[in-house]
Amino acid sequence: MATEEYQRLQEALKRAPTAEARKEAAEAMRRYNAARLAKGHGSKPTLVSLGYKKTYPTAIPVDKIPEELERNPAFFEHMRDIVEADG
Amino acid sequence: MLNLPLYDLPTRSASGFIIRYVLPRTLPPQLIGPSDRRQPFQVLTIGDVIIGVGHGDAAEFCGHNDQVILDIHSIPDVKGKVVVLISCQTARELGPALIDAGASSYIGFKEDLVWVMDSDLASSPWSDALGATVMIPITNCVNTVMDGKTTGKAFSVLIEGLSRNAEVEEDELIRSCILFNKQNAVLLGDDRATIRARLPLALPFKMVPPPPLLPIF
Repeated sequence: MATEEYQRLQEALKRAPTAEARKEAAEAMRRYNAARLAKGHGSKPTLVSLGYKKTYPTAIPVDKIPEELERNPAFFEHMRDIVEADG
Repeated sequence: MLNLPLYDLPTRSASGFIIRYVLPRTLPPQLIGPSDRRQPFQVLTIGDVIIGVGHGDAAEFCGHNDQVILDIHSIPDVKGKVVVLISCQTARELGPALIDAGASSYIGFKEDLVWVMDSDLASSPWSDALGATVMIPITNCVNTVMDGKTTGKAFSVLIEGLSRNAEVEEDELIRSCILFNKQNAVLLGDDRATIRARLPLALPFKMVPPPPLLPIF
């Protein structure tokens, strides 16, 4: 069962990647990260992929995801695809 | 043949698990780090299996420093081989092209292969519990192929491993990554294809961890 913070992130990523939606998703990701840190995940988690010629980074520290969500519509859609898998 | 680039965090994490759990029990050719280049890849066609880690897209698969070593227009002799590409999206075009070129079976992914790794452990990626949630099922799949089992069996080892890890994973982002990869894993060609099994591991033999990898330059 997903936590409230993650459900908010999933909801925020369902919208089209407008500037407002990206900002909202970034905020939801920040709240999720804060909850994650509170659970004691103290290492340096990094979201990686083996994509080629992508318009988003193939390695991004989890705590930097909100900035990338806000900035990059392609990354917003990439994240949407991932979180939808746990629908 | 093993293709194991090590030049960035994702290749280092994925190759690291293969180096730890598969490499010690394989025979050359093994293209590791900077040696994972197009020319040796296209020439070294011996053996009955290709296990490749690398960045990729629908039609291309890369080696060291994103050098394209395999694409739909230049497929080397893959007749009768089993091909496992630990990469992104190659199941869309490259996988079918490999089967058309005579490969007996292909295992890969039709979307991005994504996971969460601990970048503090880049010099010993095999000890990364975060990365293991996706990489151990993939490693087990590869070992099943190497043990001479069918690719159908190896694929079910992959899917069952990902399902099991998703079930017990508490971190939602990591669980989403595991489920995303599970949805996008693909087996093409003959699911009864096998390769010649490697020598069995004699007990009480135990593989020891390799030395730390050099830093990323």
